Amino acid sequence: MASPKTVPKDAQVMIQILKDMGITEYEPRVINQMLEFTYRYVTTIIEDAKIYATHAKKNNVDADDIRLAIQSRMDQSFTSPPPRDFLLEVARQKNQTPLPLIKPYTGPRLPPDRYCLTAPNYRLKSIQKKMSSSAGRITVPRLSVGAVSSRSSTPTFGTPSVQSVTTKVGTPMSLSGQRFTVQIPSSQTAASKSSTPSTPTVQNVLINPSLIGSKNILITTNMVSQNLASESLKRKHEDDDYDAL
Amino acid sequence: MAAVQDGQHNLEVEKDIKTEITNDGSGNINANSSSPGSTSSGGKSKSPAGSGEDQQTLLAVLQFLKRNKLTESVDILRREAGLSADADDSPVSESAGAGSGGVPNVGADGGDANSLLSRVSIATPVAPPATAPPKVVAASGGEDQPDVNVVLSAYSQQGDPVMYPLYYNGLKKFIESVLDCHRAELSQVFYPLFVHMYLELVYNNHENEAKQFFEKFSGDQECYYEEDLRILSSMSKKEHMKGNETMLDFRTSKFVLRISRDSYQLLKRHLQERQNNQIWNIIQEHLYIDIFDGMPRSKSQIDAMSGSLAGEGKRDANKAKVFYGLLKEPEIEVPLDDEDEEAENEEGKPKKKKPKKDSMGSKSKKQDPNAPQQARIPLPELKDSDKLDKIMNMKEATKKIRLGPDNLPSICFYSFLNAYQGLTAVDFTDDSSLIAGGFADSTVRVWSVTPKKLRRVKSAADLSNIDKESDDVLERIMDEKTASESKILYGHSGPVYGISFSPDRNYLLSSSEDGTVRLWSLQTFTCLVGYKGHNYPVWDTQFSPYGYYFISGGHDRVARLWATDHYQPLRMFAGHLADITCTRFHPNANYVATGSADRTIRLWDVLTGNCVRILTGHKGPIHSLAFSPNGKFMASGATDSRVLLWDVGHGLMVGELKGHTDTIYALKFSRDGEILASGSMDNTVKLWDTLKAFDDVELDDFTAATGHIHLPENSQELLLGTYMTKSTPVIHLHFTRRNLLLAAGAYNP
Repeated sequence: MASPKTVPKDAQVMIQILKDMGITEYEPRVINQMLEFTYRYVTTIIEDAKIYATHAKKNNVDADDIRLAIQSRMDQSFTSPPPRDFLLEVARQKNQTPLPLIKPYTGPRLPPDRYCLTAPNYRLKSIQKKMSSSAGRITVPRLSVGAVSSRSSTPTFGTPSVQSVTTKVGTPMSLSGQRFTVQIPSSQTAASKSSTPSTPTVQNVLINPSLIGSKNILITTNMVSQNLASESLKRKHEDDDYDAL
Repeated sequence: MAAVQDGQHNLEVEKDIKTEITNDGSGNINANSSSPGSTSSGGKSKSPAGSGEDQQTLLAVLQFLKRNKLTESVDILRREAGLSADADDSPVSESAGAGSGGVPNVGADGGDANSLLSRVSIATPVAPPATAPPKVVAASGGEDQPDVNVVLSAYSQQGDPVMYPLYYNGLKKFIESVLDCHRAELSQVFYPLFVHMYLELVYNNHENEAKQFFEKFSGDQECYYEEDLRILSSMSKKEHMKGNETMLDFRTSKFVLRISRDSYQLLKRHLQERQNNQIWNIIQEHLYIDIFDGMPRSKSQIDAMSGSLAGEGKRDANKAKVFYGLLKEPEIEVPLDDEDEEAENEEGKPKKKKPKKDSMGSKSKKQDPNAPQQARIPLPELKDSDKLDKIMNMKEATKKIRLGPDNLPSICFYSFLNAYQGLTAVDFTDDSSLIAGGFADSTVRVWSVTPKKLRRVKSAADLSNIDKESDDVLERIMDEKTASESKILYGHSGPVYGISFSPDRNYLLSSSEDGTVRLWSLQTFTCLVGYKGHNYPVWDTQFSPYGYYFISGGHDRVARLWATDHYQPLRMFAGHLADITCTRFHPNANYVATGSADRTIRLWDVLTGNCVRILTGHKGPIHSLAFSPNGKFMASGATDSRVLLWDVGHGLMVGELKGHTDTIYALKFSRDGEILASGSMDNTVKLWDTLKAFDDVELDDFTAATGHIHLPENSQELLLGTYMTKSTPVIHLHFTRRNLLLAAGAYNP
């Protein structure tokens, strides 16, 4: 903490400003914040002014450039609320319409769904059916989450909440709420770290071993997925995805 | 000078007389008719000199008269001034044309004519600008803000800047020499005059003179204007004025003064006798003098009512009828029960000042004349769950403790620990079972006060597994596994400044610095809707007492009324000159009170959106409002550490409670209105006796008409108790249904 004698000049200016505006109690970091703001603001303005000056093919930055820079920044960062007469006019118009009647017995009274935040904000992706390039790959029919076919054979599935499916090349999907066991045939890469033996009744899912490297995932499904041709896997397995509801 | 002028111009005299008569009416007409009168007289007296400026002035006046079809006066003026018939056309026509609508700034020197006309046209009521500014004179240059310049152009050069201190001094000497009884009233003129003169000097780029003027006279002003003066002192250039919305609003809205007729006559006579009309001009333009007949007010009376940014409220602003009674409670079928029947009898009773638990014999079916019609504003009908709630409410109300000066409530204080000054808003549910806190880290946290934990509804997957026919299905839909004492709601992107539970405990509202108001469900503890409308921090929000509607007020000086199922506001309440810091519904949900940083409280009618009351008297931004349960009275607390009591029906101040030493952030009336609790930043909760405070109010005709009440200095007698906390500012108060007082604040060592 700098003693008063060695406080830099700019900081002293800030202290004086606070005193002039009648502010007597403030945390010491306020001075730093003011200095930072000043520095950032001034550099932004001067940089903008330089741009305007070069645009006008002038060698030096002069007062007009600075004025223009300040004006444009004001409209951008430091907006002020609309003027009073405008507000009065808008209010007058709005207040003329009568209050709408309330429909009875409508359950929760919320705006149309478009204006609410109640829609799901994610969609589940599917594993795309892809022609394999190498012989050893096993191709996979499209995995659709929540498709009846998958559900019927795996009673352990929880009900997925989204029916829509997108395809993405080569990427196994994130199936929230579903449990899978994966068995990676040993003929695949050596990188696989987890190979859990699957139950014989369940078919295998091929997952990119690099994906598995990070987590130990238990996956059971009818489908088989292939991907090894991939492309880095964008999807991130989170354990949360597989939590039971 | 006046006498000389009157001799020459009959019209002048006529106008003057008209001014006198219309003084009680709208001051706007006052300004309108007399300002060309006085300026034209000024111009006329110099016309023999024939300078270009005066010629312009004359021409401008001629145009004005022509436009208002005062043909006779046009002829007279032309004859006297020796103008030819065609001399007055084109040079002035453009400027006149520009002056009729909005006048962009033509520069301080050019166009006294413009300025004159602009002053005249601005003096017309501040109602929304009727027309877009007409085509602008080419010389005006590219001003991109015609509104601002219309407003500011009124400040164009009126007099020699060096003379301003002299004018002011002269007025000061005059006022000091009048009789005592008039002096207090006339001293009201000092502050607005000072501000307007200073702003004129600044606007015309006389920075040095402005600074000197400020230094010389700012010390004379009232102490409660200190904050404003400080802000004023930071504005020393024209550009500073443009950026400051509050100052612009101060300029457009006329500063209202209430002066008795005798004092006003004195002032007027004095100013008109003097050579310079400078001060008189300013008074005409910028001040609205609300004249009343009667005794001049004393200094203490004036001090009680003044302090707001725009002077006091006009008398006719507070004349609209306000339905302050409560709505009739609907009939609810209750099982026959002595207790319940007695409670039910209470519902149909007309408004009463002291609602009594023991009911009067018969249920009165008459409509309370002071209560609004049941269907005045549409209200949601009661669902079964609401009816059950009401029955619970009534049962608990029977166990309510009667409070009084000899029976003070117990206070239970909820301290938020480890909040690090981040607690910005608190609310309790009506049945006191949940607390919600809004924090500066943009989270909202909900706690359960009772041992019952917070449960959310199960997800869709689990819900399909439960037995829907079972009796306790409402319990089964709740998820036991995630039950907890508190839940955290994320969603806002700025500190949460306002928070409000819905009466049916299904929803929670929160308003934040990010400009949105969010509706959260307390069944699923997720965010349902974000209401966007304010683009600036929203300082306060509240659900209506019947649910469904809510209000929000913020930095954009507008309060909005929303309904939960409309994504846009239903009503906009515009009129305040500075941020709205506090918004409250009246118990009958037909009126909304807003307290603002411009130190006024306005009461708005929900049905029409009109402002029906303007209450001035606080000397600092208002941070808390409370309505009494019977709807007749209101209490307000501000940064000036006073609590003011208001009679809503008459729009008068009926009490002043002094005692706190810091901003009052929490106010609450007890369930029957007998006690008012106030919590403040000075770490205390104080209890006040409201029965006594409202009993003492005497209203005779004079006070009702003029609004001047002698406030008794009885704060000490009304104070029933002071309770200190351990360095915890009190930011919320709540009376439970049994009249136990709950308080909340963040521990701040």
